[in-house]
Amino acid sequence: MMSDENKSCCSANAGNAGPAATKPLIVLIVVTLGLLFFGGLYLDSHGGWFSPKVYAPYTSVDRLEAFQPKSGAEAVAARGRKYYETVCGICHGADGLGKPGQAPPLAGSEWVTSKGMNRLAHIPLAGVAGTITVEGKDWNLNMAAMGAALSDADLAAVLTYLRTSWGNKAGEVTPEDVKKVRDEIGGHIQPATADQLKAMPE
Amino acid sequence: MKTGFSVFLAAFVALGASWFGLVYAPLEQLGGAKQTVILQTSDTWPLQRTGDATLGLQVYRAAGCAACHTEQVRQTSVANTLILTSLGGHPPGDFKEFLKSYLILPALNNYSNSILDNLEKWDGSVPVTLYAGDDAAVVSTLTEKLKVAGIKTSSGLVAGGVDIARGWGVRQSVAADYLYDEPIQLGNLRAGPDLMLAGVRSPDVNTQLLHLYAPRAVLKSSTMPPFRFLFETRKAGSTPSPDALVLPKEFAPGPDLEVVPTADARHLAAYLVSLKASVPLYEAPFTPVTAAK
Repeated sequence: MMSDENKSCCSANAGNAGPAATKPLIVLIVVTLGLLFFGGLYLDSHGGWFSPKVYAPYTSVDRLEAFQPKSGAEAVAARGRKYYETVCGICHGADGLGKPGQAPPLAGSEWVTSKGMNRLAHIPLAGVAGTITVEGKDWNLNMAAMGAALSDADLAAVLTYLRTSWGNKAGEVTPEDVKKVRDEIGGHIQPATADQLKAMPE
Repeated sequence: MKTGFSVFLAAFVALGASWFGLVYAPLEQLGGAKQTVILQTSDTWPLQRTGDATLGLQVYRAAGCAACHTEQVRQTSVANTLILTSLGGHPPGDFKEFLKSYLILPALNNYSNSILDNLEKWDGSVPVTLYAGDDAAVVSTLTEKLKVAGIKTSSGLVAGGVDIARGWGVRQSVAADYLYDEPIQLGNLRAGPDLMLAGVRSPDVNTQLLHLYAPRAVLKSSTMPPFRFLFETRKAGSTPSPDALVLPKEFAPGPDLEVVPTADARHLAAYLVSLKASVPLYEAPFTPVTAAK
């Protein structure tokens, strides 16, 4: 039987070479496990998880999804996300949860999900100074007019993204809305305090 | 035989593994394929072929067309592309400075080097590719900024690869394209061109028939053998057939003779005309050229 032959072969080897003969075997096992590991990583990132819809040069469903032509609301959200992640997300976090000592959360924030967008649009266009209460917590940090450099359409897309992401369910913001607020502020860009914001219509 | 069971087990595992990998896994993956929808429309793809074309596939198979022709387009890359089509009267130097002033925008910042590299050796002529890459936001942002200044661009998702560069396809072939083919004639040798877009390149049945009877009457340098057994050469008589081919003089069989396609030839031509894998699908997106302004 096979097992008998194995035994005879190995015991003969063991008698001759001893521990030296087992060393290459360990190396072989380690190398094989290493190759399997990196092969697994490669398969994970390039295999598309055997989806029937994923062909090369697309490597995953996510990547294929990113190349789908966008239309309407989807396009606005994708555009808003892009700007959010490069401008706002650095402090507020890509997940909108904020960062202690840097920026308050946007997900679930009453400032973001308010009925109107007037106060919300003021924040990126003029900035905020002083203490502001978000979700029952006081934040005493200053924010510059980070959104003033964005075009109306881009800022509207960002605000729409804020109001419709991370479980937020508020209405969309149009470029005309943003333009109205921007015209209201005019050339006198002064950071607003929370009280000043609250005095404005919602 | 003492080792009979071991031999059986080894053979079972070896054959079972290949059956699993080559038969079962692909069946699980693609066996449930259904009609899909053409991107951004509600039209279905693929359409069932006409009766003639369905029969034509069997003629295609019997005549051995797949020995020299493939029906599979390969794709190696995909890119969101922005092409400058008109400077709107601005000098190229001014345009470059104007473009540079926008490259500090957050959406463009990361790509400023690659965009400027594209214009490194630019002589000021249009069209020129400004950007080709993964990021759709770059294309939409630049388009908008340049439009304000009266500069015209065209943008789209472009599939790339040697087959596509030759004009054999506009995107790669995917499983859905073959849904109604039985058997699927993929082919593995390209003595002739790929036929996935044969019906787009020459949509006229008469041209296809002429090409089958005398390939060199359509393309002078063709190396395709003529398939004359699909045609009947007979006396024209007093009532010539309306189906007779209109042949150039050098390919005509002689005076008083006419060449009439058999049913097989008509079916094959109908099948060739039905090869039109030129629509964008979810699994193979691209921007159709007809949409360009």
